[in-house]
Amino acid sequence: MIRAPLSTSSVLDEAADTVRKVASPWAALSIVTALPYRFAQAVFTDRLIQLGGEAAHRGHYLLMIAGWTMAAFVVSRWGRLVFARAVRLSVESGRAPGAAALHVRFAALLNYLYVSLVIECFSVAMFMTCFAPAVCTIVSGLAVGTAESNDHPSLAAPFRRIARTGNHIRTTIAVALVFFCAAVVAAVNVAGAFGMGVWLGSAVGGWDVQRWIRILSLLNRRFFLMVIAGAFVAVEPFWVAAYVTFVRKAGVVESGDDLRQWFEELRSA
Amino acid sequence: MSCAKLLCQECASQWDGIWYCSPCLAAKRTTVRSGSHAGGWIAVTAVSILLLVVCAKVMVWTGALLASLQ
Repeated sequence: MIRAPLSTSSVLDEAADTVRKVASPWAALSIVTALPYRFAQAVFTDRLIQLGGEAAHRGHYLLMIAGWTMAAFVVSRWGRLVFARAVRLSVESGRAPGAAALHVRFAALLNYLYVSLVIECFSVAMFMTCFAPAVCTIVSGLAVGTAESNDHPSLAAPFRRIARTGNHIRTTIAVALVFFCAAVVAAVNVAGAFGMGVWLGSAVGGWDVQRWIRILSLLNRRFFLMVIAGAFVAVEPFWVAAYVTFVRKAGVVESGDDLRQWFEELRSA
Repeated sequence: MSCAKLLCQECASQWDGIWYCSPCLAAKRTTVRSGSHAGGWIAVTAVSILLLVVCAKVMVWTGALLASLQ
């Protein structure tokens, strides 16, 4: 019998099972809170592309959109943390959690918001390198996985907790790569769903089909950005669940609790 | 556990992924209660608000820089 308690496949399998259990209403809450942030990001990017070289002269206008984006960022992080808590409670109890998922400790939320802002700031500042946003995505996943362990506000402790998971860096990177591929597949599905909607709608008269075909075309920059945003929103619950599961499993392996669980599984088999 | 005593599984409780005996766990709980962490609350809140503003500005600076490269 080969047992791999902390492998990429085991993390993804458990995460998928958990998302199925907590999908209603917690994954929905995560999606609803993430939507304004992703929408604002898409609008900001669209305006930047539209302005081009003029962007440097429209600082106040862009700062207003960036401000709204950051306000939506705070809401999205709350939703993400509530979902992460729902996932953890579900993994521990084996059932869908009730309203207990909403009872996120304020210290954990504040620490998570602080860590997320540091990561976001670094990611945006180093966006041109392409490498930094990828690393920041992984660290962001570990941040949400370890967020609930923060029982009091601290500037350094959340980062120490994230660093502790560094022993399993290969699994962390593998999970991130899987979700990069998943985001591409999700983008294709989101674009396909809109295409299907237009195709089905074309059978019904009374509206300008050609106009909507142009609007919902991938050649339309705004729709293209919205598809990318939609893909991230669709993948996010699975991504959060994967990192919460990963952090939990990593902690279990380090404490030797995996052996106890294995023994109990063998006894019950 | 911090006292390094040998205990059976039933007598130990888990805290943050580590098994503790009841006296060690009680000591840990007392430690958690005794600290007010007022400094931590103020520092993290202040830095978070500052980062919210900085992050919005960094978004604009980086965005304008990237847009000018088009």
